[in-house]
Amino acid sequence: MSAVGSRTRPVNLRKLRRNVLVGLAFLFYLFIALIPIWWMVRATFVADYDLIDLTVNPFWFRQPLSLVHITYLFEHTRFLTWYGNTYLVAFCVVLITLVLCVPASYGLARLRFRGAEGIGIAVFMSYLIPPILLFLPLNQIVNNLLQLPNSKWAMVAVYPTFTVPFCLWLLIGFFKRVPIELEEAAVVDGASRWQAVWQVVLPLTVPGILTAAIFAFTLSMQDFLYALTFASSSSQKVLNTGVPTELIRGDLYFWGELMTAALLAGVPVAIVYNFFLDHFVEGITGALR
Amino acid sequence: MLVLVAYPFFLSLYFSVSNVTVAGGEGGFAGLSHYQDLVGDEVFRKALWNSLSFTFLAEIGKAILGIGLAFLLLRHLPGKKIIRGFLMLPWTLPISLSLLSWRWMFDPQFSTINWALAHLHLMSPPYPDWRGDALWGYVAILTVNIWRGFPFSAVIVLAGLTSIPSDMYDAAKVDGAGFFRTWHYVITPMIAPIIFIGLIFDVTFTIGDLTIVYLLTNGGPGYATQIVPLLAFQTGIQGGNLSTGAAMALIFFPVLFVGVVFFLRLLIRRQAAT
Repeated sequence: MSAVGSRTRPVNLRKLRRNVLVGLAFLFYLFIALIPIWWMVRATFVADYDLIDLTVNPFWFRQPLSLVHITYLFEHTRFLTWYGNTYLVAFCVVLITLVLCVPASYGLARLRFRGAEGIGIAVFMSYLIPPILLFLPLNQIVNNLLQLPNSKWAMVAVYPTFTVPFCLWLLIGFFKRVPIELEEAAVVDGASRWQAVWQVVLPLTVPGILTAAIFAFTLSMQDFLYALTFASSSSQKVLNTGVPTELIRGDLYFWGELMTAALLAGVPVAIVYNFFLDHFVEGITGALR
Repeated sequence: MLVLVAYPFFLSLYFSVSNVTVAGGEGGFAGLSHYQDLVGDEVFRKALWNSLSFTFLAEIGKAILGIGLAFLLLRHLPGKKIIRGFLMLPWTLPISLSLLSWRWMFDPQFSTINWALAHLHLMSPPYPDWRGDALWGYVAILTVNIWRGFPFSAVIVLAGLTSIPSDMYDAAKVDGAGFFRTWHYVITPMIAPIIFIGLIFDVTFTIGDLTIVYLLTNGGPGYATQIVPLLAFQTGIQGGNLSTGAAMALIFFPVLFVGVVFFLRLLIRRQAAT
């Protein structure tokens, strides 16, 4: 019996030590990832006095907690306007992206001519051209051609330059997974080509279309450069530009309100993005499968 | 596609070889003179050097942290989905918003980093001025960049690792391969393509991003932490000199082009193999 005991114990100890190490490593990563976010949460709820008193432990608080920053943000700043702009722009971009991408990707997935593969790769490539190469000419197009200087609608016009290539690429993959035999069967049964696509293929690609929509949405909510370039007056700004540029006046920082705004604006985006992160990675790495 | 990406791209090329300003002046063909001016411009050279070195160092940092995290996420753990969600926050939060918190951490007066280091007795006054000093500013920008990007590297590496069939690991184990030999002979060749895609994606993303520098140091002090995208923005939009701005942005194109060609060749070789 004792032989058995002495044989199992070192194994358990090793296992325990390993688990402790893994746990510590996780804590280390969580600490790095969350520390700036913790300061956002803290600044949201502590009193101003705690933020500027250098003797207060910056990880914690001394004065009673308050909701003063939140109420100030909603009552005395344009925060709600920016919130509205952000979601309006993102919603329109999603609509435009889907209208452009769904038919195009269906066509590209079904076409069987030489070079169809090449078009697919070209689509992905164009996603790799960063906004920094395009923002100057786009600025001219928006100002002179579309006559939309300094307007949130400029963003609606410009964001598809990065949402369309990515969503097109994503949707081609989804459409390719629907066997063409299904469509042919529907046509044999008397459906028109249009009916076959509408009633047979589209319902099967709803998850893909939903993913593309979510991505168009989160990508347009992550952008900073275009928002900064195309909308400079306060009423046209979105959250990403409004919060960091309007709530800082000269050298005066409204830390409490700034952090509150960042938290309230950022967390919904982060949560939605996180749910679809796996699809996003698949979209990028899927180029090789 | 042509209208959305190709047209602006060629317009950008056209800008860079002519004299265009926001005021509408079309000064005709300027050839490569804007590029020649840039080569001789000290500020631009500094910005180019910063852009390349930032990106290079940031990718190394992200790779180290990301690979470590990817191996951790391979393990079974209760509540892993939720923990992963928290770990992904640096990547999923809009950077212009999370940067505000970093500004607070690097604030000359209220820097919580300085506070923590001082209370751990790792540092004594004078404290580094994270946003006003050339070297510390560089470090601060690099830190934020790595913080922002490491979850993404982890997810990419993880996607690579999980694509390896587990019997490959078992076979390596049976053959007596240790961690490093497994890494070198089994893991690296298998995940290289996926890592490569992730890297191209992340490099183009990092090198073209101006948000962090714009909101943290605005290129200062002087032009010590200036990068090309921000300089192009300041020249082209704020200064109204579209041609020079476009030329600045386009300098990157050869670099990206090489990456993309590599990517294409890889793709073709892979498809030939299967």
